[in-house]
Amino acid sequence: MSEVRIAAEPRTEFGKGAARRARRAGKVPAVLYGHGTQPRHINLPGHDLMLALKTPNVLLRVDGIEGGDNLALPKSVQRDPIKGFLEHVDLLVVKKGEKVAVEIPVTTTGEVAPGGVLNQELVQVEVQAEATHIPEGVEVDVEGLEAGAHVTAGDLKLPTGTELVTDAETIILTVAAERVSEEAPAEAEAAEPAAETEAPAESAE
Amino acid sequence: MLIPRKVKYRKQHHPSLAGRAKGGTKVNFGEYGIQALESAYVTNRQIESARIAMTRHIRRGGKVWINIFPDRPLTKKPAETRMGSGKGSPEWWVAPVKPGRVMFELSGVPEAVAKEAMRRAMHKLPMKCKFVKREVEA
Repeated sequence: MSEVRIAAEPRTEFGKGAARRARRAGKVPAVLYGHGTQPRHINLPGHDLMLALKTPNVLLRVDGIEGGDNLALPKSVQRDPIKGFLEHVDLLVVKKGEKVAVEIPVTTTGEVAPGGVLNQELVQVEVQAEATHIPEGVEVDVEGLEAGAHVTAGDLKLPTGTELVTDAETIILTVAAERVSEEAPAEAEAAEPAAETEAPAESAE
Repeated sequence: MLIPRKVKYRKQHHPSLAGRAKGGTKVNFGEYGIQALESAYVTNRQIESARIAMTRHIRRGGKVWINIFPDRPLTKKPAETRMGSGKGSPEWWVAPVKPGRVMFELSGVPEAVAKEAMRRAMHKLPMKCKFVKREVEA
């Protein structure tokens, strides 16, 4: 995975007032820590960071702070739950060649056999990989899987140099038998008269 | 319809609708979700109605999760009653929902089907909502 260069500036004022001023100016407050160093409070450009974070586990080269540039991985990203803009980012300092434990997304390809419904239990798996060679994700081929089949973490085909941290027995996805199509309307019609009879009983309580 | 099996106190104070949801703001179980954009009391009838609207549209396959539970009673005095003589009797069961809360989740269907199913479900709910997808992040 290629690294993304991002220009940081040191943050000297703290608290919600200062953080809100920074956000209004299109910056995102962040903190950089790791490898026994003192935490460094920084501001990052909001738009560049938003674009960079579209890649899971993106490797950032943070420059513009004292002590030279640093390689970092996003450890925790806080977003506004409704609007989705970035509020704060925790960055973990990493070194070239160092192995880190990260969560990578699991995606599926293909279609399960007719009569089966795919149920993905786990969307991310924890792996250990070199900080500069973190896989973007892992794909599972579900083409033709019959109802009752399942895929465990041990079945995943990881790139070389990447080790699984999640328990190999953990179920990633299962294929369940499809329910009868007539069930939904019949059940709904039955529920409506029941609802009408239930309301007076509640109010009589 | 969803209703608590047993409650400690039959009549409660009105639940607060101030502020924003402090949890349950992401899609955790399924692939798609309905997120509240305003606060409101969602009754058990509305939850059931939304669920039926969704399951009728998706017809086969798919799995629905309901992340809210109507465990708060609201009371009402009978019509044409003078004020006083104590609190009215429980009338509705509601879930207090604040902005940001993901109320329903869905998986196992194509995105277009999920979008339409959830659009139909949103019409049954008392607040503005939006369709959200699961995000994988650092």
